[in-house]
Amino acid sequence: MRNALRVPLALAALAVAVLLPVAAGPFWTGLLTQMYVFGLLALSVDLLLGHAGLFSLCHASFFAVSAYTTAILQVRHAVPTALAAPAGLLAGTLLGLVFGFAVRTRGVYFILITIAFGYVVWGVAHRWSSFTGGDNGVTNVPFPDVGAVRVESHTEYYYLVLAVVLLCALGYRLLVASPFGLTLRGIRASETRMRSLGYHSGLHLYAAFVVSAALASLAGVLYVYYNRFVNPVAASFPISVEAALMAIIGGTGTIVGPFIGSMIILWLRNWVSSFFELYASVMGLVFIAAVLWAPQGVVGLVGRLRARLAGAGSG
Amino acid sequence: MTTPAAAIEVSGLTKEFGGLRAVDRVSLSVAPGERRVLIGPNGAGKTTLFHCITGTLRPSAGRVSLFGREVTRLPEHRRTALGMGRTFQISNVFADLSLFENLALAILGTDRRKWMMHRPVAAFDDVCRRAREGLELVGLAHRERTVVRLLSYGERRQLELALALSSGPRVLFLDEPCAGLSPSERQRISRMIGALPRAITVLMIEHDMDVALGLADRVTVLHRGRVILEGTPGEVQANPEVREVYFGHV
Ligand SMILES: Nc1ncnc2c1ncn2[C@@H]1O[C@H](COP(=O)(O)OP(=O)(O)OP(=O)(O)O)[C@@H](O)[C@H]1O
Ligand SMILES: [Mg+2]
Repeated sequence: MRNALRVPLALAALAVAVLLPVAAGPFWTGLLTQMYVFGLLALSVDLLLGHAGLFSLCHASFFAVSAYTTAILQVRHAVPTALAAPAGLLAGTLLGLVFGFAVRTRGVYFILITIAFGYVVWGVAHRWSSFTGGDNGVTNVPFPDVGAVRVESHTEYYYLVLAVVLLCALGYRLLVASPFGLTLRGIRASETRMRSLGYHSGLHLYAAFVVSAALASLAGVLYVYYNRFVNPVAASFPISVEAALMAIIGGTGTIVGPFIGSMIILWLRNWVSSFFELYASVMGLVFIAAVLWAPQGVVGLVGRLRARLAGAGSG
Repeated sequence: MTTPAAAIEVSGLTKEFGGLRAVDRVSLSVAPGERRVLIGPNGAGKTTLFHCITGTLRPSAGRVSLFGREVTRLPEHRRTALGMGRTFQISNVFADLSLFENLALAILGTDRRKWMMHRPVAAFDDVCRRAREGLELVGLAHRERTVVRLLSYGERRQLELALALSSGPRVLFLDEPCAGLSPSERQRISRMIGALPRAITVLMIEHDMDVALGLADRVTVLHRGRVILEGTPGEVQANPEVREVYFGHV
């Protein structure tokens, strides 16, 4: 029954996603675009968190470095999108190659070192104003224009992001089912056994870190063309934390989970901040509630409910 | 003409933990195809010696060679690639993965395809087949999709052995494979170890004297980190010092 429902559900979700901009208007189109972009960022965090068991708190760095790179090239140097976007992706990934050395540590040390990395990048964005534009950041980023694909409205951009995110989700699905993905779960379960089975566990974690950074960088590129500007907020610690929270609230180790988490958090933020200034405190409470009552996230909660319903049905 | 290299050659191996010498200048040589059993009282340093040979721990001094090739400085995963395989005294299996996934990891560990990122594990027919064979060997084939957490203690011990065998080792290190098993499970495991082809050299730590003496070609007795005797099962059994040390006051 589980598999029988899956395909129709996915098709229905796709149909809704495609039709929404028509039905919902520009506000929701924009918010949804943002939900996809941050869902992708959360998905990148979850490759480490939900599979390799590494809690990274520096993913805002890759996100921001790619966003800044793309923005600076496109705005200040009039580099076309066809080059500026890949350059952003590359810059974020290269940073991943450097920060990847964090995998020499484990547990709380890994968390601490990634926090420190994140602050370094935020500090540069914030203080090196001649290059990054300081607190104002880089503004007036145009819509992407790659010859064949020329985006001229938020609705069109919505469809571009939807397509890219869907492709990423499909690729991610292959990745986590592959020997490489299994290896990461093996390392999380028992690194000592993995070593004795012939795995250079550090190298696998490093590779996973770089892949994850590349995915976060892609989210950064998508973000800067949506947002039309980038400032140090993109590199800030709360972005890294929120990306992890999205994965946890939605359900780690899954693909829809990070996207569901992204939708919940961005929707809540939008709704709560319209009438309550202490929105950050509300998010904190939501997180505590999730950890206490739904540690497996929304996906886990749905699974439990279904198991209970199935039990009641047969019993 | 040189004599063929020993499968495992250990010389002057020492491991210190702080002030404690867990392994004290141990030397031993195991011929290809041999079944060598290590015995000794609790805390004698048997597991630590295994750890140092397989690369789990770095020895404080001494050398280890595998088929004539020095491996003392090689990391553990490289030694596995060269043909070492082991089980752990305390079951070390992947609790939140299925039995199939456990076996697949063991099979792929010494295979370049472990780096593949674009093809599901289930699409590798030979891996699936070998995983099933590995599970059949220990009688767990019917539970391929079960999560290991749901297995009994005895079943985990058997999975432990299946993992070590699936990486295709030339030299197998078994750390008390029968500890804590029921008599029937114990019998099954020792029969399985006895039936391993002679192409695999086996070193085994075992407390159960019946199992140990039934399988061993030669026995090494360890006490307080040192080798106090090496010989055939008959010699070891007859030795008064061993009876004193190993069986306490007889
Ligand atoms: N990681 C470690 N740190 C400090 N001391 C250790 C460590 N591992 C083992 N030891 C000590 O080294 C000695 C040898 O331990 P080891 O586990 O090798 O003995 P063993 O012969 O395998 O015993 P058993 O039959 O109980 O398994 C013991 O005194 C033990 O306390
Ligand atoms: Mg031991």
